[in-house]
Amino acid sequence: MIVLATPLVEWDNVLKILLAGLIGAVGVVVLYGFLLLAVSRARSSKSEGVRIVDYAIAGVCGFLCIAAVVIGIYAMVNKPKSSSSKSKGKAKIAMVAAPSRRTGW
Amino acid sequence: MGSDLILVIVIVTAAGFDFTNGFHDTANAVATSIATGALKPRVAVGMSAILNLVGAFLSISVAATIAKGIINPALIKGNTGMLIVLAALVGAILWNLVTWYFTLPSSSSHALIGGVIGATIAAAGTKAVSFHALVQTVLAPAVLSPFIALIVALIGTFLAYRLIRLLAEDFARKGYRYGQIGSAALVSLAHGTNDAQKTMGVITLALIADGKISAAHFYVPFWVKLICAAAIASGTFIGGWRIINTMGNRITPIESPQGFAAEAASGATILASSYYGYPLSTTQVVSGGIIGAGLGKKLASIHWGVAGQMVGAWVLTIPSAGLIGAGAWEITNLFGVHGGVASVVVAVIAAALAAGVWILAQRNKITADDLDRTHVSPLDEGRQLGAEPAAAAG
Repeated sequence: MIVLATPLVEWDNVLKILLAGLIGAVGVVVLYGFLLLAVSRARSSKSEGVRIVDYAIAGVCGFLCIAAVVIGIYAMVNKPKSSSSKSKGKAKIAMVAAPSRRTGW
Repeated sequence: MGSDLILVIVIVTAAGFDFTNGFHDTANAVATSIATGALKPRVAVGMSAILNLVGAFLSISVAATIAKGIINPALIKGNTGMLIVLAALVGAILWNLVTWYFTLPSSSSHALIGGVIGATIAAAGTKAVSFHALVQTVLAPAVLSPFIALIVALIGTFLAYRLIRLLAEDFARKGYRYGQIGSAALVSLAHGTNDAQKTMGVITLALIADGKISAAHFYVPFWVKLICAAAIASGTFIGGWRIINTMGNRITPIESPQGFAAEAASGATILASSYYGYPLSTTQVVSGGIIGAGLGKKLASIHWGVAGQMVGAWVLTIPSAGLIGAGAWEITNLFGVHGGVASVVVAVIAAALAAGVWILAQRNKITADDLDRTHVSPLDEGRQLGAEPAAAAG
């Protein structure tokens, strides 16, 4: 018998992914745009002070972009919130997993 | 002896699937970078291959989420279990090759799931499959994933072009090209981590079914990791130029800010989905990202005919791979499940069909040296669907 105990669409997860995608991807795209903008301004500026400030802004934006990538790699390697890893052992080799309430085996 | 022969054939076939997975999905990571000139084609697939290799060794935490909860796990035991896995792999490989021939990006993971479901139904009937779990873990994410990436890429592209107004055009394009190298690298790494593990899981599953590994003490042997990493990396290095051409050139004309936004959206969505344990198809996410990047730029044109063909392939993937998997199972059934003859016959037939598709593809060959929008899918011959954006742009 199939147990329909869980909803077909996990909207909670979908919204989390959308939000994380928006923060991560849009954030990186905008930060990278500001990095280019700061480098462009620094190159064309005649004032030493403005140039230093612009390069500093570019450096901060670059650092934040790299940090986002590092966080992404960390998330990729460590999947602590994965629903598939909530029940250890059972999830690791899923096709031989024990019967679950979700599937009704 | 019979079971050992079946096991060896399953392992070789799994490596073959991983190889097709590599060249089928190379486009996900590098198509937009090649299209914008951020990377030379050979350099792009070389970089992607190395990162797929590295990614395969990064983690085994989701070594076998394929078909999780969808089929009755009690079936995957002994020779019957290994032959179900073999039939599933044959279904996935052949469907991957069919979609590659038609130049359509489709999910290799969905092909494998389809193959597993088809072989399982053929072996044990529909009661052995949980259709609720299928909808929940495969079909619902498949419908939603392109839209998630599309929204993210659309907003990212829109904002990128707002910022570009403040920059010299050449400087902006060159700057975003450098950014694309990083974003392509991240997507390649994510692909290696996610997809190579699925094949590791399949091989380990066969080892468990054959009694070589205890299910209670699950681990992925190093040689399994090595085989899978090498197979996916070499497949990636071969370069699935037919699909790279579709994703990079035929969906929408891509400029470097769009490519960067599409890859950033795809990378962030894939990583977030991995983190939250909600399985999304890399191919569908990247395709959604590319369409979103096209829509985010004012007056950019999306080739909806090509997008429609892609969606058609996505819809057909699970049933088609399932039918092939079921057919492969029926062939093994003709010879009985106790000997290795059945597995040899299925493997030989699959290899012959794969060779046939490859030979057919040589009639309309696409290589690294001639990637452009004038190539059309065999589906469009005479209609020139893929050439329209080029004419509009030029």
